[in-house]
Amino acid sequence: MAQSKDKEENPLDIDGSNFNPDMYMDCLLKCATLKQVMDKEAEVVTQSQFLQSEMQTLVYENYNKFISATETVRKMRTDFKIMQEEMNKLSENMNKITSFSTEISDSLRDSGNNVSRLCGTRQLLDKLQFLFLLPTQLNKAIVDGRYADAVHDYSHAQRVLQKYGNQPSFQSIQTECSEIIYGLKKTLRERLLSPDTSASELAQCVSLLRQLQETDSSLQDIFLSCAESRLDQHLQSLSSMVESIDILEWVEKCNSTLLADLGIVISCYHEMFQDKDSTNIPDFADKIMLQVFHLFEEVVKRPDNIGTDILVRGLDKFFRKLQAMTEIISSDTMSNKAVDVVIQCINHKATIQYLSIQSQFKDSLTKVRQSLASKGSETTDLKDILNSLQVYLMQKVQASLLDLMAFLQNNLSFGLKPWCAKAVADTCWKVITETMVNLSEMVKKMAYLQTSNNIPFQLLLILAKLCLEMQESGVTTLHTHLLKLLEESAPGLTVEKRDTNSIMVHLSTAAQAALDSEVVFIGQTAAQMLRVSVLARDWLRAPEPRGPRAVCRRVVETLAGADSAASQLFPTSMKPSSDSSRRTIWSRAPSSFSPLNRIFSERIEVFSPAGADRAALSNGALKVALKALVECVRLRTFGKHGLQQLQVDVHFLQQRLSCMGNDERLLNALLEDALASAQLRCVDPQLMEPSIVDIICERG
Amino acid sequence: MEEGNSIIYGLEHQTRALSPQYGESDAIRFLIGTQSLKPNSNQIHVVELEEDTGALHTKVFKHDIGEVWHLRCSPHDAAVLLTTHNAYDSATSQCTMGVSIFKLPTVEVIPKDLDELSAIQSRNAENMEVLLTVNPEKPEEEIRCAEWHPTDSSRIGVVCESGLSVHDVSSGAALSRASASARLKFTGGKWNPHQGNAQFAVLQDMHIKCYDTRTDCTKPSWSIDNAHRQLARDLDFNPNRQFHLATAGDDATLNIWDYRNGKEPIFSRTDHSHWVWTVRYNTYHEQLLLTGSSDARALLTAAASVCTDTDDDGKKITQVLEDGVLQSYEQHEDSVYCAEWSAAEPWTFASLSYDARLVLSRVPRHFKYKILL
Repeated sequence: MAQSKDKEENPLDIDGSNFNPDMYMDCLLKCATLKQVMDKEAEVVTQSQFLQSEMQTLVYENYNKFISATETVRKMRTDFKIMQEEMNKLSENMNKITSFSTEISDSLRDSGNNVSRLCGTRQLLDKLQFLFLLPTQLNKAIVDGRYADAVHDYSHAQRVLQKYGNQPSFQSIQTECSEIIYGLKKTLRERLLSPDTSASELAQCVSLLRQLQETDSSLQDIFLSCAESRLDQHLQSLSSMVESIDILEWVEKCNSTLLADLGIVISCYHEMFQDKDSTNIPDFADKIMLQVFHLFEEVVKRPDNIGTDILVRGLDKFFRKLQAMTEIISSDTMSNKAVDVVIQCINHKATIQYLSIQSQFKDSLTKVRQSLASKGSETTDLKDILNSLQVYLMQKVQASLLDLMAFLQNNLSFGLKPWCAKAVADTCWKVITETMVNLSEMVKKMAYLQTSNNIPFQLLLILAKLCLEMQESGVTTLHTHLLKLLEESAPGLTVEKRDTNSIMVHLSTAAQAALDSEVVFIGQTAAQMLRVSVLARDWLRAPEPRGPRAVCRRVVETLAGADSAASQLFPTSMKPSSDSSRRTIWSRAPSSFSPLNRIFSERIEVFSPAGADRAALSNGALKVALKALVECVRLRTFGKHGLQQLQVDVHFLQQRLSCMGNDERLLNALLEDALASAQLRCVDPQLMEPSIVDIICERG
Repeated sequence: MEEGNSIIYGLEHQTRALSPQYGESDAIRFLIGTQSLKPNSNQIHVVELEEDTGALHTKVFKHDIGEVWHLRCSPHDAAVLLTTHNAYDSATSQCTMGVSIFKLPTVEVIPKDLDELSAIQSRNAENMEVLLTVNPEKPEEEIRCAEWHPTDSSRIGVVCESGLSVHDVSSGAALSRASASARLKFTGGKWNPHQGNAQFAVLQDMHIKCYDTRTDCTKPSWSIDNAHRQLARDLDFNPNRQFHLATAGDDATLNIWDYRNGKEPIFSRTDHSHWVWTVRYNTYHEQLLLTGSSDARALLTAAASVCTDTDDDGKKITQVLEDGVLQSYEQHEDSVYCAEWSAAEPWTFASLSYDARLVLSRVPRHFKYKILL
């Protein structure tokens, strides 16, 4: 670059733009030799000459060109003149053509209009012909049954007819047509209403009617009411069949007739009306389905359909169809209803189960009752009866639980659904609770009726024990059994822990009621004997005692019988040592009857809840019997011998009864009270020597 | 006598007869009859509670005619009383029962001044005037009780174990009688204060039978069969509702009946733990019932649910008390055979046990306020 720059700026370059001739000359003169200068001079001279000649040729050449151009321009000027003339001629001709053409078009306009009018008239005539032919066409179509064509034709013509309907000639056509169409509508409606038309025909009719400008809502109503009447027929035939065929057949019939038709009706409805909010259909479907469900319930309730297997299969079929229907109807209530139906079935089954358990158990109880009534308590083994009752009850419940598991079979459409499993678990639990609650109620009722109904007291003991056993182990056993069954049938199902407390309370109160009733019964029986005997006897003029009165033996027997029966069923608590039983109760001063004694003794609750062991039961009965003795003695007046007789009786009772129960203090307190009361009511209170009493007692 | 503090009065002999002084409307007075087979040892005690001070004043009268099984003050005359008594005659070694009407020399019990006080203290039991004694036709016949006619002061009803008879007070003559069957004896009875005061209801074993004394009494005018599962011991008519009555019995229950429908009691409670010997409606507040039982308790029970009135619009006035036992009075040590409301004061009552203990108690104040307010 520097070089080129140098070259450019070099003032010594003869071809450069900055050439400085003076400098060049100076430089040349300074640098070059003479020869060189001479050569240079020669060179420059030749070059200058060359340039001179070249310039001359150039001038010549350009001059020639200029000459020829000038000539050409001159020639063109003449040509243009000719052109101008030609052009003028052309424009003249064009004007002429224009005027001609307007003339022509003016002359042709009239005929063109005529032609187009003719065309229009022809079209109109075509239409008119169609119109005039329309009635016959319609009639023909209707006669042929081509309702769709007729409706199509009519709907085409209708607009025109409407437009020109006021012209007399059309009026007649219109009236004729509308008469025909009216007839058609009528036929269609009749077809709608006639029971033989199928659902698809029905749909066709409705769509035609719809094209015939029937309003939608009324059509919907007609359609639905027609469909309803048809479905009603199905319902009626189904309901008439409820009694005669089994559940499987019934469901089959129901699926193939009623539900199938309902499906068609609903899908047609959707197609035809494309109802956006479709308010009618859910109501309609619900109405029909409600009746179907109602019928189904009736079917389920028929005694023939009790068999679990047949019930489950029928239910399965029904449920499948319902699910399919749900998709068509697409209403939540339907699917809920379907679920409800299954749950209801399960509940119904469970209800039957526990009712049958109840009645069977009742029967077996009646048998037990009869056998107890016919035999004495000594010959019957109460423990055996208890066991058989318990086993019977447990087995029945377990069997019914197993039966209910059939609803959880894998191959069923609802079998593996969690809601179904839950329902089954719930109802199973319900079977258990209902059975237990019913047992309790039955026992309570018996306990309440005891006095009036003469139920053997052994039965009360057995029932009380049964309730207690159930409370202790039975309920839990059944619960675990149920969990096991559920685990097998529906693995992975989580069942919430059931609350067993309320059943336990039921059972324990029932047991308590039975025990109380037994105690009161035994006590009252003994009390009644004592009361009657005390009130009937003339104690004032009684003879000298020879031995305890017969009634005392009977009382002892009654109490002992109950005690031995109780000992079979209820554990015997350890008896306190019987040393003190030797002590006679009048070892204390005869004037023991004083308020002071009572202050130090506990209040005796006579009718109080009885404990569930032998001694407590016996104590309870003793209390009831002996307190009655005390009260009755106070109502009488005793002579000397009467008092002594009572002394003997009391001693006898004390001896015989001290082996029962475990509260000797209680026994003694009551007997002491009886004797003391008799002493107070005695006109000549003289007691016998204890030794003599002993002898008399043994002798008697 | 403040809240929960009962006043106790003790006697020497056994007692099973108690009556408020019906004819007295100011002073709270109760009469007690003793029961002793010793000759000439029986007494009538008149006990008066001085309301302001809570002091107890007593006066003792001799009742030498025999032990007192039943005692009723006349509703017509505060000084007159009616006793059912029994006496042993050692000569014939036989007991004879009878009904006697006595007149107290004075109804005043509280001494007016110190002199009188000392006079009373020094003096022994006073005598009463015998107005009339009725003896049964058969000498060994047992008399259960005798009741004053509610309005006619000249009549008394006497219940024997074999029959019921109405006697004229002045002559002692029997006006009408109804007999019990041989097997089912009468155990007690009462006049019906409604229905023209002519009906007398008797207790017969487990049943209640009501006879119209104007008829020949062959057939009861109404009855409640099996009123109790055991013997029925006592009955009391609702003072305000003419068809209601309360009964008590050996099944330890208190039942209230509408005798027009005697199948089921309209109210039933089993709160005692032994036979219930007595039941009494409060005369002023019928929802309060007092029962005494041989479990040595007196119970104050509310039966508000069967005593609610309807107001003018036919709506039920809200009942103020819950049904059930309001208070249990446990001051007794022995069987309570009698319990009576005071005739003069609606909130005071007395209960008497066999061991000769009279307990005067009051309805707890909060219940009283609940009823009143």
